[in-house]
Amino acid sequence: MVSRLTLVVSHEAENQIEVSLRHAFELLEPKLRPPFSLAIPKPDKYLELNRAILYGVFCEPHFAKTHMKHLHAIVCDGYAFFVKLLVEIIHHLYPKLVGSVKNQLIWVTKEMIDVFAVGFDGLLVSLLRQIIGGDISDGNLWLCFELVNIFLDKWHCILEEEPLVLSSALYTYLRLLADHCRPLNNEKLETLKQLEIDLCVKILREEFHLCLKIGRDIIRLLQDLVHVVEFRAIWKDLVLNPSQFKVSEFADISQIYCMKTSSRYFLLRVTPEMECHLRFLLTHVKLGHQKRHQLWFARKFLNGPNRETLIVDLVRFICCAHHPPNEIIQSDIVPRWAVIGWLLTSCRKSYVEANAKLALFYDWLFFNGSLDNIMNIEPAMLLMVHSIPKYIDMTHTLLEFLLLLVDNYDMEHKDIIIKGVSSAFQVLICKGVIHSYDVLASCPVLSPLLKEGIGRLLLPENYEGEPWINGNSLAACRGKAV
Amino acid sequence: MLLLKDIVPAAQNNIDTKFILLEKGRTALEGQNKTCLALVADETAAVHYQFWGDECDAFETGDIVHLTNGIFSYHHSNLVLRAGRRGKVQKVGEFTMAYVETPNMSEIHWIPDPNNSKKYVQEYVISPQSRIFPSMP
Repeated sequence: MVSRLTLVVSHEAENQIEVSLRHAFELLEPKLRPPFSLAIPKPDKYLELNRAILYGVFCEPHFAKTHMKHLHAIVCDGYAFFVKLLVEIIHHLYPKLVGSVKNQLIWVTKEMIDVFAVGFDGLLVSLLRQIIGGDISDGNLWLCFELVNIFLDKWHCILEEEPLVLSSALYTYLRLLADHCRPLNNEKLETLKQLEIDLCVKILREEFHLCLKIGRDIIRLLQDLVHVVEFRAIWKDLVLNPSQFKVSEFADISQIYCMKTSSRYFLLRVTPEMECHLRFLLTHVKLGHQKRHQLWFARKFLNGPNRETLIVDLVRFICCAHHPPNEIIQSDIVPRWAVIGWLLTSCRKSYVEANAKLALFYDWLFFNGSLDNIMNIEPAMLLMVHSIPKYIDMTHTLLEFLLLLVDNYDMEHKDIIIKGVSSAFQVLICKGVIHSYDVLASCPVLSPLLKEGIGRLLLPENYEGEPWINGNSLAACRGKAV
Repeated sequence: MLLLKDIVPAAQNNIDTKFILLEKGRTALEGQNKTCLALVADETAAVHYQFWGDECDAFETGDIVHLTNGIFSYHHSNLVLRAGRRGKVQKVGEFTMAYVETPNMSEIHWIPDPNNSKKYVQEYVISPQSRIFPSMP
């Protein structure tokens, strides 16, 4: 047996997961041909047989149906172990899998949905995570196409059994559509784009209650698509006609603004490999020694036309899904604000930079001390403060952008946004992230116009609860700070 | 598995270690074979590594490399770590390894141990960092 799941590269150690599957197959090969044994295998043999069958499905496409019949005959755990194996392979090996194995992977995923296998939602999520934002290479578009078809074709099964995974599909495809709806002169993209639009519109129109599970970032994504006819119509209804969506509690878009997005959605837009590398950078690499790691990360994930749109997802991931413990925050490890500063300076297109800044400030706009996590807003503040004085341009561009957002992001709900941004400032000072507003107010190189802008925001009437500007309540607040 | 700070020059293929590839120099020809000098490091030290033949194109910076039965010795007056004929290098990962650039084991002057002439001991540091591959600001 020479067939392999992954591309053979010289001088590369073989992956242990692949080795274990192949060993199981080689060991049990005679038993994988009909007539199959009717004996019930012992637990350890059962797991081994699962591995062997999976390897057979991957490497013998012509026998795949037979292997699958075999699996249906022996299964006694609701396919839980088989699905776990699939998820593990996707997580660790997907980018290296050979084309025929990827085809089999899609085929077996559909089989798992048809039998309502335990954990098939997790299987779909792990495949969604392998779609790379900003990547319009054939391989990536193939995966987009296969998965959008699965969601459309298996709509009823999925809706009945694991409806929440539809919200993950929506989040993923809304984000991808922002890439696919840009004029790229790619004919292949036209069919795919329409399928993706159909899926998103179907979920939004028919199952809006699932869309609400995402939280405020669904608005951020939809806004990037208002130039697309179908989404403009949805946008109009969201603003003018909320009852259209037939969810009784939903009466105004501001309700969505107030809902924090769960970190699972941010994870959807970074592949496990990106996640692993970013978390390593933010856990083990010392500040001042990060340059090579940043270069390697950029070479692998940000290199190529349009790839930079990924930066927006990375910023959101770092702010909302990677919260280092205190030991790391107090150590000499690269802080999150420094990595975000590097990512912002890596943006070449202005619309990407604007979206990245929006991603950085998004939780500021609707910040609610009792619901939102201060860790989501901390990087923006520290990036502004630590850029003084050497990188004052960074501080300027960020503050300018924040004030622009306050005035223009949603004029109908300006009151909510002013309250959100002032609360964000208030909590950051209160919890000691910065000691006082003076770092900005008394900074000689900061533009007076910006100082004035922040000053207006920090008027006592803008805060929720007690005005902190009063010395006593500020002291009390500091006392509470951890 | 040895840490790089503990490697000592010897005429033996006895070094098992793991490191991350930081920089590659230009590929040169030595007779019929390609060679490529590189800077590699782990959490404890850095060293110059010499790739040989098809190894030169198989690895790129950021790769985590496992060396078995490697040798740390003088090669044309350069003190380098390499696989040699009996050793083996394999890529086992990428990115997820922290490193230091000081000390650089190739930038140390070694002398025979006065008590055991078969062994080498450190005499003095020639340069705290590689003089071939400048460190990154």
